[in-house]
Amino acid sequence: MLKVMIIDNDIKRSKPLKQSLIDNGFEVVAHVENTVNLEAKCCEVKPDIVIIDTESPSRDTLENICVMTMNDSRPVVMFTHDGDKEKIKIATQAGVSAYVVGDIPSERLIPVIDAAIARFEEFKSLRSELNMANLKLDERKVIERAKGLMMRQRQIDEEEAYSLLRNMAMKKNMRLADLSHQLIEAAKMLIV
Amino acid sequence: MRDQDKTDITAVNTIDTSSTVDASRRQFFRQSIAGAFGAAAALNIMPTGIKNMAHAAGSDAPEITEVKIGFIPLTDCAPIVVAAQMGFDKKYGIKITPSKEASWAGVRDKLINGELQGAHVLYGMMYGSQLGIGGQQKDMAVLMALNNNGQGITLSNQLKDKGVKDGRSLKRLISNENRDYTFAQTFPTGTHAMWLNYWLAANDIDPIKDVKNIVVPPPQMVANMRIGNMDGYCVGEPWNARAINDNVGFSVATSQDIWVDHPEKVLGTTAEFVAKNPNTARAMVAAVLEACRYIDATENRAKVAKLISGKSYVNAPEDVIGGRFVGNYDNGIGKKWKDPNFMKFYNDGEVNFPYLSDGMWFLTQHKRWGLLKSDPDYLAVATKVNQIKLYSEAAAMAGVPVPKNNMRSSKLIDGVVWDGKNPAAYAAGFKIKA
Repeated sequence: MLKVMIIDNDIKRSKPLKQSLIDNGFEVVAHVENTVNLEAKCCEVKPDIVIIDTESPSRDTLENICVMTMNDSRPVVMFTHDGDKEKIKIATQAGVSAYVVGDIPSERLIPVIDAAIARFEEFKSLRSELNMANLKLDERKVIERAKGLMMRQRQIDEEEAYSLLRNMAMKKNMRLADLSHQLIEAAKMLIV
Repeated sequence: MRDQDKTDITAVNTIDTSSTVDASRRQFFRQSIAGAFGAAAALNIMPTGIKNMAHAAGSDAPEITEVKIGFIPLTDCAPIVVAAQMGFDKKYGIKITPSKEASWAGVRDKLINGELQGAHVLYGMMYGSQLGIGGQQKDMAVLMALNNNGQGITLSNQLKDKGVKDGRSLKRLISNENRDYTFAQTFPTGTHAMWLNYWLAANDIDPIKDVKNIVVPPPQMVANMRIGNMDGYCVGEPWNARAINDNVGFSVATSQDIWVDHPEKVLGTTAEFVAKNPNTARAMVAAVLEACRYIDATENRAKVAKLISGKSYVNAPEDVIGGRFVGNYDNGIGKKWKDPNFMKFYNDGEVNFPYLSDGMWFLTQHKRWGLLKSDPDYLAVATKVNQIKLYSEAAAMAGVPVPKNNMRSSKLIDGVVWDGKNPAAYAAGFKIKA
């Protein structure tokens, strides 16, 4: 069984990755945040593969461990062994780097990276869904405020205010939220 | 009209044969450019717009006008920051966006996958990638050198308490007190690894057998020493000055003690980028050269120290950067001096010329320490990596003098002279080696 160590300063982000590796029969020997004792940790748990965030400063530490073990004539593979530029790019964009210490054929490395990418992509899309939801919520707040402004200024009720706004948005071919935003900004200048 | 078309076809052929990109990409070029454009040009039915575009390849206009240049938070990233902040880039028709990076490995990968068009990078690391040490082989390009000097070796206060104050007393302690001694540097094939190994060996300490070697990112050096993780480290400023400032260590040597005016960081990119964008590469060099000249003027140094101390760049107190930046050294154990060989960025272009002997030196040390198993063709590799022709053209644009000789001669701390001759014999000639 291949021993995998995951280093990520956002442990939550790589949680699905960890699960996926376990489900696929890998042994996750360590799942840590960037650690100042990385070198000692590596010696202690002796991972075959280290998966690390591409943007982690600790990557240079791993490079050194890999180069050093090269002296013991153990082959070292970094990223994809076949030098496939496209694959490296995808892995990099997904925020994953894999370092392999030891004698592992690259065919066995590729699925690991593929899985890592898939899981990180999933996490990314989850996060963008969350962002979208937050945006929607913000928009609703803006519309509410614009409505309130109309109601106060023109002494109308909520329904009337809403239909006025909606009609104006349709006529101007604007999104309701954008129009509301403009209205609030304009009101800031007009109403003291 | 007919002559015009001929020029276009020549340009297309140049792309097709001189390109060093992989086979599939070459195939793509052949089909899309030679196929579509070539045939159209031959039939004289090329649309004017496309013709002008193809012709731009024959002019001096930068092929791409916006470049992202990576850097690591260190004092010697200044030329990149200054080139962008002081507008030297605009003068040459490009826009430089400095991009703060977290690791040298990250810098290398982003250069290779094209996310970065250039970077502030360790001289030796460029040669490590060129020869595929510890990673994928990729043809690299050293466009120019960014600085000489200004790195250093720091030892912990624990060693000071044991009576260590120089190389000789360190050797004595290591011989007498048997325990693990840990020294950190910044990248296995980089410059700091080579300065540290060279200094230890010059003091009769075997950097492979006598001590343990680890890598720690520069901004984390001081914190790691504070928690007792290591006995010493070699890194660029301001992280040696910072150790003294924070009272965790002292300076046992500066890198200029090891080699006066040694090569350090370079402006690096890939050979592929230079082949495809020679004009952009030239403009980058010219802009950064002007920045280096600006920084070296004494009256500008304080301003530059302030600029790079910001959170987006080095992120260290201005006074920690500023002292050694102007040559005011304090080793933290009672010696203060004005160092004439402090970090130089220009020195009438002496700093910036990509001397072949400088590039080859890193290869000799990679061989010495076993990172290379056999001798490479030293001169051929350096000639390929160091872009002397492109540099010289850019230097002419910026009005920077170019040295006559491609090699230079220096005597290092152990008294051994390196002049670029007989690299294999030089690499094999050291008493302490892997």
